[in-house]
Amino acid sequence: MAVSQGFKTDLLGSIPSLRAFALSLAQNADKADDLVQETLVKAWDKHASFQPGTNLKAWLFTILRNEFYSQMRKRGREVQDSDGIMTAKLAVHPAQHGQLDLEDFRGALEQLPEDQREAIILIGASGFSYEEAAEICGCAVGTIKSRVSRARAKLQEILQITGEDEYGPDAISTQVMGKPAA
Amino acid sequence: MKDMMKTSTADARQRRKGSGDLLGPNSEIGRKLRQYYDDLVSEDVPDRFAQLLAQLEQAKPASKKD
Repeated sequence: MAVSQGFKTDLLGSIPSLRAFALSLAQNADKADDLVQETLVKAWDKHASFQPGTNLKAWLFTILRNEFYSQMRKRGREVQDSDGIMTAKLAVHPAQHGQLDLEDFRGALEQLPEDQREAIILIGASGFSYEEAAEICGCAVGTIKSRVSRARAKLQEILQITGEDEYGPDAISTQVMGKPAA
Repeated sequence: MKDMMKTSTADARQRRKGSGDLLGPNSEIGRKLRQYYDDLVSEDVPDRFAQLLAQLEQAKPASKKD
């Protein structure tokens, strides 16, 4: 089957989002762009398996994510910090007057395990639903929910943010009381 | 019927608590997360990707059937 012009245009339009997701995963600009390139090649080859009308962005994110983890497995879990960028960002200062510096936030995000980082990015930034994120990551919706909540808790801890739960006691009482009755 | 409606309203509220509020406008983490990501999305895209797609298209032209 031929690749349609529309598919190509949609691919081009998805590149900024793909790069953002790749950078969030790989934490390294060169690796991120390699991931995007590989994703575009794979998407082009597999275009026949994409069902028009379904979510192209989710389909592409799935390809990119699979590529990321398969590259990581191939390399073994090498330390991602080859050029000292991460080390420079590791020192996190307490937020001043509740204002959080973006560099500090980036540094904190880098300290999250990959599965939590991708979950909180997909839900909190890329605009996917829990269901879509679960499909992209090939896991249960509940798994995504718990990863997002652990990621958020870890970020709060690293960045020493307190009082975020003041607007609603539910998060705390849920932890204390266990699962609320269905 | 009424029960079902009640349930779905509760679900919606639960969802709002779960995701919306958790990383919503009230959450500093949520705001920073979107700022971090939006910065990345708005970066200039290197030419290599448009070139790559042009190459792919030449290898597998758009208009011909297999």
